[in-house]
Amino acid sequence: MRAAKKGDMQAFEELVARHRDKVYARAYSMMRNEDEALDLSQEAWVKGWQRLKQFQGESSFATWLTRIVINLCLDQLRRRKRQPTESIEEIDEDSGGVERQMPVVTVNPTERLERAELRQRIDRALAQLSYEHRTVLILHEFEEMEYKRIAKTMGCSIGTVMSRLFYARRKLAALLAGWKDEELT
Amino acid sequence: MRTKQLVASWLAGTAVATFLLGMTTPSAVAADLKLEAQLIWGTADAKSPDPNHKPVDPEVAKKLKTLPFKWANYFEVNRRQFVVPESGVRKEIMSKDCEIRVKNLGRAMVELALVGRGAPVGKITQALPKKELLVTGGNAPNFTAWFVVLKQAE
Amino acid sequence: MMDHASQLELQAFFDGELPENEAHDMANRLARESDAAALLTELRNTSKALKGFESDIKLPESREFFWSKIERDIARLEQAEPAVRAPEPLLARWRRLLVPASAFAALVLMVVVAARQWELPIGFGSGVRPAPVLETALADSGAFTYRDQSEGITLVWLSYPGEKGVADSGPADTLQ
Repeated sequence: MRAAKKGDMQAFEELVARHRDKVYARAYSMMRNEDEALDLSQEAWVKGWQRLKQFQGESSFATWLTRIVINLCLDQLRRRKRQPTESIEEIDEDSGGVERQMPVVTVNPTERLERAELRQRIDRALAQLSYEHRTVLILHEFEEMEYKRIAKTMGCSIGTVMSRLFYARRKLAALLAGWKDEELT
Repeated sequence: MRTKQLVASWLAGTAVATFLLGMTTPSAVAADLKLEAQLIWGTADAKSPDPNHKPVDPEVAKKLKTLPFKWANYFEVNRRQFVVPESGVRKEIMSKDCEIRVKNLGRAMVELALVGRGAPVGKITQALPKKELLVTGGNAPNFTAWFVVLKQAE
Repeated sequence: MMDHASQLELQAFFDGELPENEAHDMANRLARESDAAALLTELRNTSKALKGFESDIKLPESREFFWSKIERDIARLEQAEPAVRAPEPLLARWRRLLVPASAFAALVLMVVVAARQWELPIGFGSGVRPAPVLETALADSGAFTYRDQSEGITLVWLSYPGEKGVADSGPADTLQ
């Protein structure tokens, strides 16, 4: 790290090799698209190089760089047109709609699943969430951010963060349990 | 005084350099280029389903394997040898959808234009000394790849 | 059945975001109400399922390939940045130019000899190969170049064909 901060490209390349999977995984979780995740993680590394002198060690390097890629992903997602379903989900979450009515999943649906199958189910389930719901879930569950920090990152209120997180978790639980979307309403 | 000496040495050096450059007749200048172009298919499969495909020659295969690609196997689809006069252009049909146009810019510089299905794809200007390869490539169906390899012919 | 606000409060309890006294009240509620306890279990199971999900995701490109793209972008950015220097005295500037002058002729001589020896395109600095100039017919944002000096190989990767242009099957005996 010290060598990289001094402009040693080889040292920086070593950092890239060490943390590239984690950074890419975060971008992929958010974007749900391999090519976009590759482009954005590449961009994050370039930005990381440019801002390396500013990194003071207040968090781990991997966390610092992951935050850069998260912000890049958020910028990209905001630039996109909103999907019609997002507004329906927002109405739902305001009134405590769909997720309130979902029966609670009492049995752990993932208990007997093989790791690969579980991963596949989570993958599919995440893809079915809107980007706002998915992002809140990722920031909380993977990035381990507090509500306040998520609200600041996403530019919304803490209440909205809580509603979106709740909705995302409940929908994910239902999807992991193998329920089809139509059965939820 | 020291400055005068430095200026003098600089002028002398420049004079010598100019003389030597004037005497130089590099073999790459004002020469026709004898080139070889290969259309190559990259795949993870050990065998090509097309019986007309041949494994690429070992020298080219060795260089392609140094590229950071996942394909382990390369097959030669077509090979053309041709001469391009200096400042001239030569067109070669590599396949029914692939055409290349090579311009000899002199001093072993080439301009390689790729045409796919009649439409221009890209143009690359690059020095091409002997024993070096200029490789252009892109994705092909079923996670394979196409390559056009250009080099000076032996 | 819990109302929405209570459900969010339960979630905050699970996430450790409730102030102490409210967390205490929620803990009591969980002990009394089975539907609250069931919801907590669901939240816990979902969180547990997500643990380690990302650790299985690997970047689908080789180390060298991925790095070469980053390196290229960094080089491009650094070339675009103007060098900022403090103005120096005229004499110092001249000295900087003239001090290596005596080595200049020797360097040129070496370059000329090397170029003749290895039949390189003649010109100053022929040991440093300029990057290939690439023009693409379409706005090919996926195109890039990669050079391995030691192997004597230059790769130009094009995004051609686009998504729609890829045929469904069969060996590529054409650009498809």
